[in-house]
Amino acid sequence: MAKPSFSDEIANLLYAAHGNPIKTCIQCGTCSGTCPVADYMDHTPRRIIGMIMANYKDEVLASNTFWYCASCYHCTVRCPAQIDIAELMYALKRYSIWKHVYPEELIGPVFSETFVKTIVRSGRSYEPILAPAYMFSFGVREFLQEAITATGLMLKGRVPILPPRIKRLENFKRMISKVIPVGEAS
Amino acid sequence: MKEYAYFPGCSLEKIALSYHLSTIETSKKVGVELKELEDWNCCGATAYFHVDELLAYTLCARNLAMAEQENLDLVAPCSACYKNSYFTNLHLKEDPDLADHINFALAEDNLHFSGNIAVKHLIEVFAQDVGPEEISTKVSKPLDGLKVAPYYGCQILRPRKDNEEVEQAEFFEDLLSAIGAEPVPYALKLCCCGGSLILTSRRAALSMVRNLLQNAMDSGAALIATACPLCQVNLECYQSQVNQEFGTQFSMPVMYFTQLLGLAFGIPAKRLGIGKELVSATPLSSYIK
Amino acid sequence: MSEKVGVYICHCGTNIAGVVDVEAVAKWAGKELENVVISRDYKFMCSSLGQEMIEGDITKEGLTRVVVAACSPHLHEKTFRRACANAGLNPYLCQMASIREQVSWVVEDKEAATEKAKAMIAAAVNRVQLHEELEPTVVPVNPNTIVVGAGIAGIQASLELADAGHVVYLVEREPSIGGHMAQFDKTFPTLDCAACILTPKMSDVGAHPNINLLSYSEVEEISGYVGNFTARIKKKTRYVNEEACTGCGICIEKCPKRVLDDVFEAGLGMRKAIYRPFPQAVPNIPVIDRENCIYYKTGKCKACQLFCPTEAIAFEQEDTYIDINVGNVILATGFDLFDCKTIPQYGYGRLANVFTSLEFERMCNATGPTEGKIVLRDGVTEPKSVVIVHCVGSRDQRFNPYCSSICCMAALKFGHLVMERTDAEVYSCYIDMRTPSKGYEEFYNRLLEEGMHFIRGKVAEVTDAPRFPGEESKLIVQVEDTLIGKQRRIPVDMVVLMAALQPRYDARDVGLKFGISCSMEGWFTERHPKLDPVATMTEGIFIAGVAQGPKDIPAAVGQGAAAAARVQGMITAGEVLIEPIVATIHEEKCSGCRICNTLCPFNAIEFLEDKEVSYINAALCKGCGTCVAACPAQAITGAHYSNEQIFAEIEGILFDVTSGGDLKALRAEQERVPA
Repeated sequence: MAKPSFSDEIANLLYAAHGNPIKTCIQCGTCSGTCPVADYMDHTPRRIIGMIMANYKDEVLASNTFWYCASCYHCTVRCPAQIDIAELMYALKRYSIWKHVYPEELIGPVFSETFVKTIVRSGRSYEPILAPAYMFSFGVREFLQEAITATGLMLKGRVPILPPRIKRLENFKRMISKVIPVGEAS
Repeated sequence: MKEYAYFPGCSLEKIALSYHLSTIETSKKVGVELKELEDWNCCGATAYFHVDELLAYTLCARNLAMAEQENLDLVAPCSACYKNSYFTNLHLKEDPDLADHINFALAEDNLHFSGNIAVKHLIEVFAQDVGPEEISTKVSKPLDGLKVAPYYGCQILRPRKDNEEVEQAEFFEDLLSAIGAEPVPYALKLCCCGGSLILTSRRAALSMVRNLLQNAMDSGAALIATACPLCQVNLECYQSQVNQEFGTQFSMPVMYFTQLLGLAFGIPAKRLGIGKELVSATPLSSYIK
Repeated sequence: MSEKVGVYICHCGTNIAGVVDVEAVAKWAGKELENVVISRDYKFMCSSLGQEMIEGDITKEGLTRVVVAACSPHLHEKTFRRACANAGLNPYLCQMASIREQVSWVVEDKEAATEKAKAMIAAAVNRVQLHEELEPTVVPVNPNTIVVGAGIAGIQASLELADAGHVVYLVEREPSIGGHMAQFDKTFPTLDCAACILTPKMSDVGAHPNINLLSYSEVEEISGYVGNFTARIKKKTRYVNEEACTGCGICIEKCPKRVLDDVFEAGLGMRKAIYRPFPQAVPNIPVIDRENCIYYKTGKCKACQLFCPTEAIAFEQEDTYIDINVGNVILATGFDLFDCKTIPQYGYGRLANVFTSLEFERMCNATGPTEGKIVLRDGVTEPKSVVIVHCVGSRDQRFNPYCSSICCMAALKFGHLVMERTDAEVYSCYIDMRTPSKGYEEFYNRLLEEGMHFIRGKVAEVTDAPRFPGEESKLIVQVEDTLIGKQRRIPVDMVVLMAALQPRYDARDVGLKFGISCSMEGWFTERHPKLDPVATMTEGIFIAGVAQGPKDIPAAVGQGAAAAARVQGMITAGEVLIEPIVATIHEEKCSGCRICNTLCPFNAIEFLEDKEVSYINAALCKGCGTCVAACPAQAITGAHYSNEQIFAEIEGILFDVTSGGDLKALRAEQERVPA
């Protein structure tokens, strides 16, 4: 069987998204006119769809677009072709994490993976353990600002001291191992 | 007395503790019993869906299955928890193959998803199930004259396509009017706070927070009301960073809607977690006695 | 005596032959199917050579039945029936099997398609042998016509017919004829003034001896059939005596009550409680708007009556009804505009200086509320910048999936008018610029030269929340400029929304009333999208203008004229043949229960009191079969659709073509097994 094109791969990844397939895109730009983060993206979401359709795989994976998606779903509810664009951004994130292809300077991929590991270990999230995922990539100024915010929260009793965990953790871990191979998740 | 399965979510354990406290206090007042899900787990937030979709559905399905055991609708006070649970419920109901797959994993925890409950956001319980009329009857100390910017954020309304109000919701305003406060109209009430970008794409998120604060301030609001812990943290806790980054002078309190409801119901401020703010709730001082 | 059946299988070029093995099917039919004496395949059966082949076989071989396996009977049933008739065979002894629409176009697997084609031919062969000779009824055509809707399409149709010497009843719901075109200022691409070209036609209509203008009226009921319709028209009361009124307008001048005019002025201007939509209205007679008239509210005022020099005001006047007989109907009921409030992010109704395209048309109109001055909602300030938003409610799966077809050109026209009358910068935000007709692309080029700014991108939102310097107290239009791949925020003073054209809110009800169907969206469905664009599936009912689908003025005029030509054809022929496929009641079986009387959707069944049985008027019956199925005594038979014929067809289609077994063996076996 012929190797699936990049757009086919992405279409397959969008299996659970209940919108229309991206091939129905009319390139109107509603998504990118709506997107609150469009200015920070190297390609607008509309253009990413165009690039996927044209099989510009390397360029798509090298872009920061989908890592800047804040999942606000404004594009999704406005798209005149009813494409679930935010879900497409999720699909691209998953694809790039699986293939371990993403621009080095991005925090998003590392953060997501750390987050998932935390939950797999304890069933709940724990902010302090997540901090290293992004704090070390900050410059000195951002680091200090973040530390001040964190201290403020700590003083107000808004930061947990001990990591929380669920009670039936063993069952929970076994449940997870049924869905994804254990080696990848821990 | 209406009963719900309550899924507080990770944030409400600590960083949004005041949301949790005020939710418990106010729900009792309006005849809503929230029974906390025993041994709930994280909904997967946004990060989980970045990594593995099936796994994210499994996490949400576990909570749903536990609520099903209690035969209660699931209520989430956090918009991300709500969105993830709502859509997991929807997709699993529509796709029996997917449900089978997930149930195979849930069996390890002796659970089963059958899709016979609904998922609601906490604000829907107050604004729709209880309703502004009922709420106004419980008000003993109306927040007369308090100008509040109701902030919907994203995931309460989106991406639900069946919701006609998706671009012009008014229920938050109705809720605030019911407790005597004055909701102010402002353009960005449905725009994004930046969500988890605050950690991963800091500058982009800070500028989104700045736009929101600016718009709320220009509209004459004394404070912003939210219904989501992540929105609250971004708008409030990162306000000082916004000020440093953009040279602005914001000092805009950001309160949970349940805290405002609680004050209007005459519940003491401390029991509503008021006092844990980084931007102090000065405009509320005259309503706190 | 057994029948001699001829089977003809069409290749339809490669349409059928590309999927179905037509030669094998022809061979199979000739060998396996009972009573088939000739079985042939041919490239194009509908061509004259194909028809001659069938005719020749009928005469030479003495065929008594013909089966044509080709396209849908919608397309060529008439063709092949005529061929049979030419050779002296009753045309109803011919049956078609739709092996294109129902087989080759929908079945991908060649083998399966071939088997399915065989089954369908077996069904047709089985059925046709039980057909009876039928004779169509000849009825005369009433030469009068009703035209419903007096916009430009209806006006054109009426004038064409009237000029040809035929009587037209032109029925218009509003107080004046003219439709949407009367609201416009200029028309693209030539920029001639709409009123200048429309009002002469309107006065022609008003003065034409052959046109009975029934304005402020609606068709209440219609019954009958092609050539012989009876319509009941409701003339809504104007509270003004039409014979006495001279149209002097003093009543309007003296009326103390001002009302927002949200029909003709699109909410941008005022009118009086007694009014005519615009000065050149035809007829020139005013109407009292009872909802807003002071007299009807308080019992006092009567200013209009006091000043009327001819005593034409008639407060006690009531709706009247008139019955008219016509032979044909032309529906030209037009369109409604998309409600821009449905897209809240564009700010219409919330942000003062967001206008709809129709509001803007009125604003540009020299006789409109601003006398043609382009100004903001305050009525005085000239805008310094304007954004025109395309595709508002069009090309959007959530609202209307279709292109409204006129908006690009209207936007260019607006751009020209803004630049002609103000110093404003004009931006057009479009998805695709669509300028496909004569002189249209040239008009686009003209606007490019005139300096209109074009941004390729659908507007995401219009907001009044400033973010950057220069945005304060402006409307900010946020859009992706897709040609440079950047999100842009354009601060402007005025936004114009090019609202989609939509079917009339009651189009489906109107369709039902006249017995024609609507598309998914609600546009009236034409008989054939290319080759029969103004006829409908109901004989005698024609359609024209935007009611059939979005189109501009030249196209609407073209359709109006085309519909008139079709009606003239009917009138000239003088008579029509009514299909003999109707139901009949066997009096001796009818118990007189009357169940069928109310069920008949065409009111074709009446109860004969003297005989105490029901009776079907063959001219009104459309052969739908409802009564046949409903009759508890099985006293009704549908000609051409008898139980025997249908069962024979079912038996044929269930015949197992794959086993290679023959129908004769199957029949024999069935007869052995007691039922």
